[in-house]
Amino acid sequence: MIPRLSLSQIEKAFGAHKVLHGVSLTVQPGEVHGLLGENGAGKSTMLNILSGVLSADAGQIEIDGAQVTIASPRSASLAGVAMIHQELQQVPELSVAQNIYLGAALRRAGGLLVDRASQQTEARRLLAPLDASIDVTAPINSLRVAQRQIVEIAKALRANARVIAMDEPTSSLTPTEFDRLVEVIKALAARGVSIIYVSHKMDEVFRICQSATILRDGRLVARVDLPATPIPQVIALMVGRELSHVAHQSFASDQVLLQVSGLSRGRAVQNAAFSLHKGEVLGIAGLVGSGRTELLRLIAGVDSAEAGTVAVNGRPVASGVRARIKAGLGLVPEERKRDGIIRHRPVTSNIGLPAMRQFSRWGIIRRTKLRTRAEELMQEVRLRPFDVSKPIGSFSGGNQQKAIIGRWLAADTQIYLFDEPTRGIDVGAKAEIYDLIEKLAQQGKAIIVVSSELPEVIRVSDRVLVMREGRIAAELAASEITEANIARHAIPAS
Amino acid sequence: MSPVLTPFPLLQRIKFRDAGTLLGLLLIGGVFAVLSPTFLTAPNLLNVLQQSSINACIALGMTLVIISGGIDLSVGPVAALTAVLGASMMVAGVPFGLAVAGALCIGMLCGFINGALIAWGGLQPFIVTLGGLSLYRALALIFTGGQPIFGLPDGFRALTNGTLAGVPNPVVIVAVLAICAWVILNKTPLGEYFMAVGGNPEAARIAGVPVTLTKLAAYMISGLMAAVAAMILIGRLGAAEPTMGTLWELDAIAASAIGGASLMGGRGSIIGTLIGCVILGTLRNGLTLLNVQAFYQLLATGIIIIVAMLIDKATSGK
Repeated sequence: MIPRLSLSQIEKAFGAHKVLHGVSLTVQPGEVHGLLGENGAGKSTMLNILSGVLSADAGQIEIDGAQVTIASPRSASLAGVAMIHQELQQVPELSVAQNIYLGAALRRAGGLLVDRASQQTEARRLLAPLDASIDVTAPINSLRVAQRQIVEIAKALRANARVIAMDEPTSSLTPTEFDRLVEVIKALAARGVSIIYVSHKMDEVFRICQSATILRDGRLVARVDLPATPIPQVIALMVGRELSHVAHQSFASDQVLLQVSGLSRGRAVQNAAFSLHKGEVLGIAGLVGSGRTELLRLIAGVDSAEAGTVAVNGRPVASGVRARIKAGLGLVPEERKRDGIIRHRPVTSNIGLPAMRQFSRWGIIRRTKLRTRAEELMQEVRLRPFDVSKPIGSFSGGNQQKAIIGRWLAADTQIYLFDEPTRGIDVGAKAEIYDLIEKLAQQGKAIIVVSSELPEVIRVSDRVLVMREGRIAAELAASEITEANIARHAIPAS
Repeated sequence: MSPVLTPFPLLQRIKFRDAGTLLGLLLIGGVFAVLSPTFLTAPNLLNVLQQSSINACIALGMTLVIISGGIDLSVGPVAALTAVLGASMMVAGVPFGLAVAGALCIGMLCGFINGALIAWGGLQPFIVTLGGLSLYRALALIFTGGQPIFGLPDGFRALTNGTLAGVPNPVVIVAVLAICAWVILNKTPLGEYFMAVGGNPEAARIAGVPVTLTKLAAYMISGLMAAVAAMILIGRLGAAEPTMGTLWELDAIAASAIGGASLMGGRGSIIGTLIGCVILGTLRNGLTLLNVQAFYQLLATGIIIIVAMLIDKATSGK
């Protein structure tokens, strides 16, 4: 059979730094193919070459047996390749139909005017088999992320895509929405569309993909059949080492460090109350939109609460981020790019930000002291590449996360608020972050981890709060923490 | 990790982007040096610096505002307002030291008003300072009835017309201010805050940066710098006109941009801005020496700005 897509011997270097060493990838028509590897393995570069954002230094791309040159996103689209980015590239204010026809508007009156009516009819036809409930006239920003993804897929179909590459499509989907996406992907595959699926979540990859290409350090490691190959073997191929599953150890003490009472804000968070002990890791589970992130932001003082108090060591803390930081709280936000990093600034500056005064004498920053401390901290968490003077934006997601955590370590934070700490982070760095959380607990810090990944919550937590529709629906002690228990409390009763 | 050792440790410290701006200046200077025999003489070069000093003064404040993610279109009228108020105090017999201090305070107050509307009011910097552009100009015109104020005390004028070791005092003053601005930007927490707030205000807030105060500080410094520029100019002219400072904001923005400040915020350089000012000053001086019509000077300025941005774009990511 002629493969739908075949990339062979792709080479790419940025300056002297070679990121792809003759990587090949083949996908059959109607096949769902995983592209796996740690961050920095070369997955994004491969996708970027395939979608025309970057051009390869060497190698060939064939689609249905015919060699194609993909020099720009436009030529990728003409060749039948569509890319669905992790961060959806849509114009929020425009309607669904307008977004589907972005850059390829249907025209009338001899090409002078946009034919909105036909666009809407066509958009409806494209969306019907995917999700008929989407209103094609609604602005994109009124849709949920899952629906926006479906719109992206419809857009790909509009462009007659024969290959659709999806980069971490599920990072913000609920389990139900994920099920829906699986159905859509299967339907696309049944129509002969080939899918390249990039994800860090092994359970998803195993559920969706029939085969996968595994990259490590820019090299092709293996092409495996799924789900025939066992998960540990796939992970071992990705990271080059077996990940150990350490039994959970609790360092929780009796001393209450953080006391949250009656915290409320609109419908998002209603009357949240709990306490957190020194050395304890408290997991907060729940569906997306159940108020977990909002609760964390209220505790961190990023948003202001309408009612309720936050007390540290028995003393109520004033509202506002700065007061909360001073009291020993620190937020590691979910959206790293948007809320975490100052992209152009070096790692040192990003680390020193909350504690600038501490690193200053007579109003002048002691750069050497800041740098030494940053290097100390980043050595501990194994920042890669190890250069704290480089802009944080040039690091991979996992390493950016290490720096953001390092920021609070430098500020001597006592209570760490992690919101999806391993979102978009590769398997290897994930394990490092779990280790770090455990180490913090061992040192007597208190930690809250909000996560959508149940295995993650179960792995790191001493105790779990389950949120549902803005309320804390259940509190699970160590012995009660199971996927079934969490799911039972997380899903609304109706 | 040990720093890379080079035979020129000082050169190592000059940033890539600043080196580019400097190269641009040397190129332009080189062309004029070849075309005009008088260009490369000490008196003329001092003259270039002196002519650039007012714009440099404004641009220092502007650079900090731009780095913090804002823009200050009101600098010219703020200068005019502080000029007429300062001058009228002097004419009324207030000791000129006190009058200058008063004028500087008024400059900071104008900056405070801009900053308060932006930081607390949540209004857009462009619009707020566009309003300020009209408002402060109107106040200056209303206060003077549109008439210039003459008769500034000789002691004050001697201050701005004098020289220190052969260098005109305005150049010395601006050089000292530039060092202060450089220290603030590169050596103090406030400088880190400017870059953090301009780079990503939400992330800065979550990291505990006092975002409101940082913005306020940027606009107050900008207002202060406008007032200093006003004092230098009225000292040199011997009169304060309510119409002075027209289009100063654009020269200052141009100098900042040539020097590498990103209007998106988060990036910029004091050294780059200073070189940017000298580039603009050199262009004007050189073209005047060559008897080129003023219209072409405007043309050249426009081309330089756009070429600088093109080079910026082409080399970004290095």
